[in-house]
Amino acid sequence: MQHEDPRNGESDHRSSKKPKLSSKFITESDIRDEFSHHHPRVARINNGSFGSCPGSVLTAQRHLQLQFLRQPDAFYFNTLRDGITASRKIIKDFINADHVDEVSLVDNATTAAAIVLQRIGRSFAEGKFQKNDTVLMLHCAFQAVKKSIQAYVTRAGGSVIEVRLPFPVNSEEEIISEFKKSIEEGKSNGRKIRLAIIDHITSMPSLVIPVKELVRICRAEGIEQVFVDAAHAIGSVKVDVKEVGADFYVSNLHKWFFCPPSVAFLYCKKSTSSSDLHHPVVSHEYGNGLPVESAWIGTRDYSSQLVVPAVLEFVNRFEGGIDGIMKRNHDEVVKMGKMLVESWGTNLGSPPEMSAAMIMVGLPSRLCLNSEEDAVTLRSHLRDRYEVEVPIFHQVSKDGEEGVRDKDGFITGYLRMGKCAKCFIRNEEAVMKVGAAFHGINICVLPSF
Amino acid sequence: MASSLHDAPSAAVNGTFAADAKSQVHKKPRLYADPSPPLFTPSDILSEFSHHDPAIARINNGSFGSCPSSVISAQNDFRLQWLRQPDDFYFNQLQPKILQSRTIIKDLINADHVDEVSIVDNATTAAAIVLQQIAWGFAEGKFNHGDAAVMLHYAYGAVKKSVEAYVTRAGGQALQRGKQNGRRVRLAVIDHVTSMPTVVIPVKELVTICREEGVDQVFVDAAHGIGCVDIDMKQIGADFYTSNLHKWYFCPPSVAFLYCKRSVNNSDLHHPVVSHEYGNGLAIESAWIGTRDYSAQLVVPKVLEFINRFEGGINGIKKRNHERVVEMGQMLVEAWGTHLGCPPEMCSSMVMVGLPACLGISSDRDALNLRTCLREKFGVEVPIYYRSPKDGEEGGVTGLGMQSINLLTMHSLVLLFPIHKLK
Repeated sequence: MQHEDPRNGESDHRSSKKPKLSSKFITESDIRDEFSHHHPRVARINNGSFGSCPGSVLTAQRHLQLQFLRQPDAFYFNTLRDGITASRKIIKDFINADHVDEVSLVDNATTAAAIVLQRIGRSFAEGKFQKNDTVLMLHCAFQAVKKSIQAYVTRAGGSVIEVRLPFPVNSEEEIISEFKKSIEEGKSNGRKIRLAIIDHITSMPSLVIPVKELVRICRAEGIEQVFVDAAHAIGSVKVDVKEVGADFYVSNLHKWFFCPPSVAFLYCKKSTSSSDLHHPVVSHEYGNGLPVESAWIGTRDYSSQLVVPAVLEFVNRFEGGIDGIMKRNHDEVVKMGKMLVESWGTNLGSPPEMSAAMIMVGLPSRLCLNSEEDAVTLRSHLRDRYEVEVPIFHQVSKDGEEGVRDKDGFITGYLRMGKCAKCFIRNEEAVMKVGAAFHGINICVLPSF
Repeated sequence: MASSLHDAPSAAVNGTFAADAKSQVHKKPRLYADPSPPLFTPSDILSEFSHHDPAIARINNGSFGSCPSSVISAQNDFRLQWLRQPDDFYFNQLQPKILQSRTIIKDLINADHVDEVSIVDNATTAAAIVLQQIAWGFAEGKFNHGDAAVMLHYAYGAVKKSVEAYVTRAGGQALQRGKQNGRRVRLAVIDHVTSMPTVVIPVKELVTICREEGVDQVFVDAAHGIGCVDIDMKQIGADFYTSNLHKWYFCPPSVAFLYCKRSVNNSDLHHPVVSHEYGNGLAIESAWIGTRDYSAQLVVPKVLEFINRFEGGINGIKKRNHERVVEMGQMLVEAWGTHLGCPPEMCSSMVMVGLPACLGISSDRDALNLRTCLREKFGVEVPIYYRSPKDGEEGGVTGLGMQSINLLTMHSLVLLFPIHKLK
């Protein structure tokens, strides 16, 4: 059965729903080869930070880099823009956007945040917004995004409301209720909420947020614009930008979508205001629309933006394509998480249906994790001594609130397990390493299988 | 080449971390146990650039530069190290290595302190940083509506757009003529080496004039500066100075430095892509702007090693580039009966060579078509500049810019001689 070559960038290409039936699926030994450049002994349980890029995609990228070096002017005039457009078309189909003009490629979610927030800053500076009009964000929004809000909103006179999400969390209703409360606060004293920034999947602690519902609430409450920071989403949960309904939606392709560092898409729903978005690094294409501006921001290496077709080929070698990968990631990370909490007598940070490819696993209270510093120290210790790479979250206990306990005390720390299933060492091995590490730290028993 | 040797390579730091605080710019580096490193032979050089398309005469080094394969190799090593264990690289390697590159650059450009040196992607990014600061000045009422930013007519197109985006939009005026009607000039943007047409600008003198005229700040856009002309921050005296290392300094795409003279006014400079390090100073902010490939920023020590294997180091290379490109330019103007765009002493490693009027270039489109034709039919890559002729003049000028170490460029001259056949 013939399928269209995704590199042609055909606009009616259906991404991963029909894997190529003509070739057999990728084998475990193929996968080991593809990731043979990873450190062989390190248990990479932090796929969420920096992702994993397979060897065949790296090869495609190197080929493009060499092409540029070989004759850069020809590459610039004849290859670059078409290549970026082809990648954008693939993404547009993947995320169910209406038009390729709605899809820009940028380095990462951090850059996308700067684009959206710089415009908010300009609106305050140009008097379109009143002083103290509000931007709403989650309390656990990514630190870099918080800084961006400081740089572009607070500095320009806007005020910020933080939605305090409960953690551990038991249901989506808990999140929705807090969100509604914060909206009330944001609108108090006659203020307008100009922008709501909602994570699709929070970073630390990691939870899948019911974005569709929250966006609906924003619309109902008259919030002007909604920006979904979905840095972790693509390759991790289903992404359908029309269903989510936000004005702006960004996701990094180098976290869970096998791209090399770094490439992200920023979706901007077509509207009168979307024409006033600009890339902060202004170059020749200024004024020609964000996607075209972003496709040339001065001389640099754009190769990671050009390998999206090669990545799609890789993904489609798996049974079920990206859907199959997402399901297996989720199932296995939940299985691993449950193994550990059973063994340690702790808890998961959220119910499994509120996690995707990452899950928060409560650490035994005997570890006495009492600060952010302790968490960093533990993480370094796990890396240096046990070759386990896993981020640790320190849970600050709130006054007067009962935290979750295990048999020895309050649980103040969580692992964020995020593993790309089947990518490298077997999951049982990874769990063994983690268990062994903590056993070595003299805390608890090994998980049993 | 019989040119006299310029015996003082400009590398003050030999790639190790410890930079002698008293070192002059002109100091012989010690890279090996032997007092002098082995110099490159012509066959070494061919091998270092064997990845270039052998059928193309690259006479447009100014746009995208040339990176030797030993540096590309070093860059790939860094990329692989990251991919192997990215968290470890992030926590333990990345920042010290960026600092090492910054330290080398600081010595190369004769800056006072490494805090004055930030590494960014390119001059375009540097311009956005400087100009965004100006925009805030207007937004926060520090500047008055109508205060001006002044730039050259030949300022780079991207920079002009940046001025429009950040200055004009914020209520300032972008002028090519200076202060009038009591307005202050908040910023002067001066090219060190213009792009098209290419000319070396006497920046030191212009900066002095700016100070005398009460211009608040001076930003020198020296995209082509490092490796092409002599640069000395203290001598030039600008507040901001940026140069791409991937044009004439053999770095891979892409890496540039932005120098910001330490002074009270500069504490407010920020990278527009705001991340965790916001508020910790521009250099630290720029060293982490989210997950991306920083490998190009890490190979500066390796590039220095490469450069120091040429006789005279970077100064030797600059001198030879200049002499050869002027020689080629003069050969062509003689053959064609045209003229150079400016006297040789105002040329760097690039020269503007008048094209024969018989080509009939009468628009930017013609110039682009000619350029495409030269690339596709003759294997010559060279930018063509069109300027509408003043009385009695011909239109159409070409800029030749080349690294003289690229031996193929001499052959390209033979191709250019029968240029009248193109029409």
